[in-house]
Amino acid sequence: MPSFLFESLLWWGLPLVGLPILIHLINLMRHRRVHWAAMEFLLASQKRHRKSILFRQLLLLLLRMLAIAAIVLMVAQPMMLNRWASILGGTRTHHVVLLDDSFSMADRWADTSAFEEGKRVVARLAAQAAHQDNPQMFSVIRFSRAAGVARGLQPDMLEQPLDANFSSELEGVLGPLSVSETAAEPSDALEAIERLPGKPDDEERIVYLVSDFRANQWQEPGALRKTLNRLDAAGTQLHLINCVDAVHSNLAVVGLRPATGTRAAGVPLLVDVTVRNFGPTDANSVSVSLEEDGRTRPAIVIDALASGRQTTRRFPVLFTTAGQHDIVARVSTDAVPTDNKRTLVVDVPDAVDVLIIDGDAEAQDAFFLATALAPGGKTTSGLRPVIESPSFLRDAPLDGFATIYLLNVERLEPSEVAALEAFVTAGGGVGIFLGERSRAPLINEQLYRDGQGLFPLPLKGPAELVVDRLEKAPDLEVTDHPIFSVFAGERNSFLNTVTIQRYFAAAEGWSPSPDSSTRVIARLRNKAPLAVERQLGQGRVVAILTKAAPVETALGSWNNWGRNNPSYIVAMQEMQSYLSSPRYPDTDRPVGTPLNVALDVSKYLPQVRFVVPGEAGTSESFVFDATPTPEGHRAQLRDTSTSGIYQAELTATDGTREAQRFAFNVASQEGDLKKLSGPQLARGLEGVRYEYHDAAQITFNPQQLAGFNLSTSLLLALIVVLLAEQALAYVCSYHPTAKEAGN
Amino acid sequence: MPDSKRFLHPEAIGRISRLDLRARHIVEGFLAGIHRSPYFGQSVEFLQHREYTRGDELRHIDWKVWAKQDRYYVKQFEEDTNLRATLLVDVSGSMRYGAGALNKYEYGCTVAACLAYLLLRQQDAVGCVAFDSEIRAKVPQRTKRTHLGSIVQALASSEPDEKTDIQSILASAAETYPRRGLMVLVSDLLVERPGLLKGLRLLRQYGHEVVVFHVMDDDELDFSFNGPTRFEGLELDQHLSCNPRALRAGYLEALESYLAEVRRGCARIGIDYRLVRTSDALDAALAAFLSHRKESQRQ
Repeated sequence: MPSFLFESLLWWGLPLVGLPILIHLINLMRHRRVHWAAMEFLLASQKRHRKSILFRQLLLLLLRMLAIAAIVLMVAQPMMLNRWASILGGTRTHHVVLLDDSFSMADRWADTSAFEEGKRVVARLAAQAAHQDNPQMFSVIRFSRAAGVARGLQPDMLEQPLDANFSSELEGVLGPLSVSETAAEPSDALEAIERLPGKPDDEERIVYLVSDFRANQWQEPGALRKTLNRLDAAGTQLHLINCVDAVHSNLAVVGLRPATGTRAAGVPLLVDVTVRNFGPTDANSVSVSLEEDGRTRPAIVIDALASGRQTTRRFPVLFTTAGQHDIVARVSTDAVPTDNKRTLVVDVPDAVDVLIIDGDAEAQDAFFLATALAPGGKTTSGLRPVIESPSFLRDAPLDGFATIYLLNVERLEPSEVAALEAFVTAGGGVGIFLGERSRAPLINEQLYRDGQGLFPLPLKGPAELVVDRLEKAPDLEVTDHPIFSVFAGERNSFLNTVTIQRYFAAAEGWSPSPDSSTRVIARLRNKAPLAVERQLGQGRVVAILTKAAPVETALGSWNNWGRNNPSYIVAMQEMQSYLSSPRYPDTDRPVGTPLNVALDVSKYLPQVRFVVPGEAGTSESFVFDATPTPEGHRAQLRDTSTSGIYQAELTATDGTREAQRFAFNVASQEGDLKKLSGPQLARGLEGVRYEYHDAAQITFNPQQLAGFNLSTSLLLALIVVLLAEQALAYVCSYHPTAKEAGN
Repeated sequence: MPDSKRFLHPEAIGRISRLDLRARHIVEGFLAGIHRSPYFGQSVEFLQHREYTRGDELRHIDWKVWAKQDRYYVKQFEEDTNLRATLLVDVSGSMRYGAGALNKYEYGCTVAACLAYLLLRQQDAVGCVAFDSEIRAKVPQRTKRTHLGSIVQALASSEPDEKTDIQSILASAAETYPRRGLMVLVSDLLVERPGLLKGLRLLRQYGHEVVVFHVMDDDELDFSFNGPTRFEGLELDQHLSCNPRALRAGYLEALESYLAEVRRGCARIGIDYRLVRTSDALDAALAAFLSHRKESQRQ
């Protein structure tokens, strides 16, 4: 029993087969009536030729009915099971549909979307397969669920036999499905196929990859090509079905993060919002609406945003109270609404503790630096400097400090060095000023340690900057570094008035290795390094090779930077922001990544209640037990497939509740709707055997369904039938001869 | 074509409604066309003597004239030379068919009327029988010129109807007119052949000369129908829906077989058989008749 690609056309067309009979009956009614005398001869002729005439007429009628039937069948595209395949053992066909539900599939146009088109294609595939003679199995795996299949999660549909109830079952599965907010990639889905039960040798496996084939995923499909080749080698037929007709306009908020700066209550915080135009045309007057703790802020208007470009705008927010605060940025709705919104949760403490270690008991350096970090008066910097001696490093925990400064320190105990290095490695920032007490050999031995320590460079010893003071040139030459970028473009930045008399020279011949994180960020007029930074673990170290305070020492004056020069305060504030920024990890969590909440079971009950954002502002809550791990007890929320702000509620042993909020945002690159055409895709997948289809015009090759399309055979049969019909009609003299026509 | 012939075509004749006028028109036109009647006087009573010639029967010699003038004259009597002709006209249903100017019935009646007029003009006695399944009208043999009206009236009042029963009709005619004479049968002969031939043979056995005018329409002879057609019998309740082209060959074959059988049957018993089409000019029938008379006189 063949199946049909367009079965409805078959049922509409089959009644047409009776058309010749109908025409015959109509002709009977339209017979000319003749009163005839010589009936004898007519009846004799009819009696004699009756059987042959009847046979010819029936044959002619049959040929005409066959011709119409052939046309109807051709239009309905009949598919015949490949019985040879059945005989040889290919008795089961397994259709595996990989349905892309990444949020780029939300791409809408007219009254449909890429995902809706994809679901329609799946339904058509199932309808087609349901009419095959051999056993047909159907599986559906969404991209976003594919990664879970590796962990033992069930696909959306697994090896469902195609029987009479299948269409309703499939509708029940596909109907509720909607586009996820993940940027799930096809690689997980393709690899999930290999984990499906059943051996490919026992079945004819056909994989349909229903996706939008965006350029960012398929431009360089190296890993995908390997997977596809592996499937091909296993005898799997592969069909790529494209659901998108064209690239549509899409604006996306691709970034929302705090700029470097001190985060503290009452201190203005600069936030950067980045908007990208993924569409094919330029956008004008793009309005970015902002919310701060649920309150609407003045929107930012971007006058023009070229196609494929992005722009970042900075805006200040001020949180007067400590705690977690929410910021939301939105652009207007377009083809893909999922990436039009981005959220941010900022943790704002009362103040930021800064530890200043001064090697001199008088702590003159510490005084100047502390004054620069926390000037006092009406404005607050949000910083809370704590001045201590070097032994504090050994005796007290350092976790509570955002930054540690070492000023004019002569020597450190190994334990103090170890504590300091652990602090930096964990993400802390250390600023180092030298002075008359500093000893180059000790620094090289204890802190530099041939590049293994936290100090960024080896020192030679103290040196005097010998220059021609009459020459008009600044002693301090800064680079385009975040600490000094605030001075960029200023005509009179006060940096030019800084005079450096004394500094510690770098070891002769030293220069930063190009492949290391060490950089010289400021030099003296004689090109000697004055400020050098390096990365250690998660943290940063900045070493200023002169004294922090503009005071006279036994060696003389080192510099005048801190004396009545505003640039000193600005530079110190910027250095503080720069050093402390690793302590504020990027809070931009992509959707789909598990949310882990650590808790101390001595303080909190071992259960965490997660409040998860839902659709249209709704929320759901789930309670998970904390499980012990080597790092302590953790509660995990695995499903974070929706963007928005998640809340984890911890209950303290005394019954009080404490909430932590986390912002989950969609992957920004998924909103890039640039797609690959069939030929472009073919170039990327060179060597892979597959067939490419457009969802709107999909026509299946007969081999795809383990059968033959009989249309071509029917066309040949139709030609034969029509020729036979014409010949028979002529033989029956139903067409007048030339002589008769002439008469 | 002579002008007189122009008026002998069925299209022209069909425009003359009265049968007697039609007959007169045809015959006068026909005679005018041949200028001289080769048969004039043959069957008309001569009231004069004629010199004997070789071949005349001796019993017709007037011996009184021989006695007076010593010459042989043949004495001709009026009653002996009169021809007794009977027109047997088929008015059955099958004669109603006709697609041209005249249908078979009209054509046959016209032929009969023409012959009657011609014979009456020659002082011959003419009778008429109109028949279908039975004799519908019978007109006795008379020689008066006015007798044409009776014949025409009998033909005109006999509307075609019923099926032809030719054998009994011919037998009845033979009994009705026992004296030998001329029997002219005008029919489409759509009857059973054995009965027809038996009837004709019977007429011959009674000593009649028989002339058969077989009247057929062009459609019947050519069967040039096209397109789906339902044929309904004119005499019997028969019908046939068919594509005529599919049956044409078989029809013509059956028709030819029938005509050949009739032609052979007539020839075998010495009957002058003439097949006439209703599209033929009517003088053809008259010419055929006179030709037959000439032949019979020679014999």
